[in-house]
Amino acid sequence: MREAMDPWTFIAASYAIGVGATVAMIGWSLLSMRRAEKRRDDARKR
Amino acid sequence: MHGFANPARFLRIARWLMPLCMGAGIVVAFGALGWGLLAAPAERLQGETVRIVYLHVPAAWLGMAGWMGIAVASFTELVWRHPLAGIAARACAVPGAVFTAVCLITGSLWGRPAWGTWWVWDGRLTSMLVLLFLYFGWMALSQASEASDGGQSKAPAIFGLVGAVNIPIIHYSVTWWNSLHQPPSITMGKSAMSGAFLWPLLFAMLGFTLIFGGVVLARMRAILANQQAEARLRRKALAAGDL
Amino acid sequence: MAIKAKHQRLVLLVIALVVLIGAGLLAAWALRNQASYFYVPSEIVADPPAPDRAVRLGGMVEQGSIKTQPDGVTISFVVQDGEARVPVTFKGIAPSLFVEGSGVVAEGKMRTDGTFIADNLLAKHDENYVPREMQNMTDAQAKQVVAETQ
Repeated sequence: MREAMDPWTFIAASYAIGVGATVAMIGWSLLSMRRAEKRRDDARKR
Repeated sequence: MHGFANPARFLRIARWLMPLCMGAGIVVAFGALGWGLLAAPAERLQGETVRIVYLHVPAAWLGMAGWMGIAVASFTELVWRHPLAGIAARACAVPGAVFTAVCLITGSLWGRPAWGTWWVWDGRLTSMLVLLFLYFGWMALSQASEASDGGQSKAPAIFGLVGAVNIPIIHYSVTWWNSLHQPPSITMGKSAMSGAFLWPLLFAMLGFTLIFGGVVLARMRAILANQQAEARLRRKALAAGDL
Repeated sequence: MAIKAKHQRLVLLVIALVVLIGAGLLAAWALRNQASYFYVPSEIVADPPAPDRAVRLGGMVEQGSIKTQPDGVTISFVVQDGEARVPVTFKGIAPSLFVEGSGVVAEGKMRTDGTFIADNLLAKHDENYVPREMQNMTDAQAKQVVAETQ
């Protein structure tokens, strides 16, 4: 007897995790950069 | 070499290079994923499951490239004491760890339908899991040494170089030892992969590499800005104390 | 003076790296037998493991060797590596990639009569990726097409 599985469940889970992690990482790096540069510019102004 | 390590010059370049890498990377990577998901063919034996390759292989490459980045930056930091080298090493850690985790998770999701198991303790899978733990250890060490003496410690740089030994072990694990994981499909100059899979895969690797570069540049800008803000605040506190 | 210190650091670090990589490669070489995930048929035939020891056997499923026993759930097949062949019996559900001419890793025990009793099967995919449209071709034809399309 051979196993029969729906491959699309595994493909969908992989893409959701891979794309989700990439997008979250991009967003976090841009936000933390903007916050840090704003903090530096504020420190300079004052 | 010293000119490039100048933070002001770095910022002038990173200001346009970071959005360029990020934007081009997003377009190329997600375009390649769509190609792989919708247009690329199913494989003869594996069927549709093969589409996981377009995420798994770029993630594996960047998980390893992240540590190579840490190692090269650590070497530069130890030999030439460039002010940006330590910052570059710290900027590689999070994206490297994220891609290593994505590689392990997508690999597990691929292994279940293809091999019939989520996980085995063979050479390739074990050495890749070791890489993830090396990232966790490195991040903890760099955090700790920064807190104590303002990032002057050499410990993370030495750890970064020692940990680089794992990279050739990951790469050769499938040739040195019998493993459940397949040997590499793409080797120097030749490919055992049909062009129908190879092209979307190469574009996915290019796209994710650009995203990786963009994230590293953004992290470097963030770390640099935080350091500059802290230095400015410290100087102000000193000046106020003198009054 | 500054240049001298820089050079000294460079040389010391390069020596340290060479020693480190040498040690790593040596350790990996020493582990080459322990770290292998399975034995190939020629190793199993040359030095059969004790009948009560759980081992893994890995190799190619011989063409035309998969046979379903009369009970309908037990299958028997032959694993070979080009030098030796080991007959295997397995009762259970095989992974979907378990096919003739492809790789397999069987977990189980070696009986004294030379048959391997597997209680779990894992399918091993090789490095060749061929589109499904070419599935009716022979392996040699498929490889030819792959070589032409890249």
